[in-house]
Amino acid sequence: MRNFLLLISLLCATLYAHAQVLFPQKEGDRSRYTAYIEMPKAYISGICIIAYQGGQINGSIFNEFGISAMDFSYFPEKDKVKLHNVISILNRWYIKMTLRKDLKKLIHVLQDGKNEYVNEKRHIRYLFTPLVANEDDIAG
Amino acid sequence: MKKFIVLLIFSLCISTQVSAQTLSETQIRQEINKVASQMKSMQCDFTQTKNLKMLNDKLVSKGKMYYQQSNKLRWEYVTPYAYIFLLNDSKVYLKSNQHNDVIDVQQNKIFKEIARIMMNSVVGNCLNDDKDFSVKISDVANEYVASLSPLRKDMKQMFQKIVLHFNKKTTTVSVVELVEKNGDNTVIELNNIQINSKIDAKFFTVD
Repeated sequence: MRNFLLLISLLCATLYAHAQVLFPQKEGDRSRYTAYIEMPKAYISGICIIAYQGGQINGSIFNEFGISAMDFSYFPEKDKVKLHNVISILNRWYIKMTLRKDLKKLIHVLQDGKNEYVNEKRHIRYLFTPLVANEDDIAG
Repeated sequence: MKKFIVLLIFSLCISTQVSAQTLSETQIRQEINKVASQMKSMQCDFTQTKNLKMLNDKLVSKGKMYYQQSNKLRWEYVTPYAYIFLLNDSKVYLKSNQHNDVIDVQQNKIFKEIARIMMNSVVGNCLNDDKDFSVKISDVANEYVASLSPLRKDMKQMFQKIVLHFNKKTTTVSVVELVEKNGDNTVIELNNIQINSKIDAKFFTVD
């Protein structure tokens, strides 16, 4: 009986983790990831939240302390990414150009159920791992 | 003459009022500084709520904080992600699932600022950063509220303001609120605060 309950718990945990993998498909859906972006000489780590809102995908990336790095929108019909509120150290046209392209590719990857994209040309690795959310952090 | 006397009384009333207000703020500042200067160590639990304006969403993170005078800080997230920010004098150690890192804060301006803001905020020393912030302190119900507006360009790019809430009974920080330019904010509530209790040295070393 004890083993059975343990098995059920593990199964529930696995199903919950799997549910977190899903990319937002319809209005109101949300996904959360730990974000890790590795560049040749530096890396950025933090959290990424993506939500399906008003027919588009909106996202925010911020570090562990809550300080925002950038917001972005992805327009499925145009297959385009628009950046908003980019932190000053990343707010250069050439960085933003790469970010726009890479985020688009990353979204395609996440839609396919994978969690890693590598920009071979620039040697940038994006690893977005689904985050298991708390029960008390649902939007108010 | 009558007008002059009225004007004189009016001026005196205004100057007395301004003086009383300034004194009150000065007294609060002195009280906070006194407690901060006596603080040798501090440990607590924290709940951090990041409110995202664009997504109308929030993320709640929880963890533990340890501070030891004068330059040791361990800021550890336990849930929903594991992350350790450890400051020991001039070195910052970062530990996450993906990466472990050591950064010299003297050579990394951003981490120097983050480390300084975090430590000074929780201890209450932020109020003395006259070059970095313009500070307004108010006496509200059960707490003192200090609103810090950044003066430096690099800080302005990160924060619109930092608001520190002090518990009136203990004169220690109970809530830190970071307000960003994009409308997001992060509220860090400190709970189960223990002041000047012994903290094991292992908390300030890397495994």
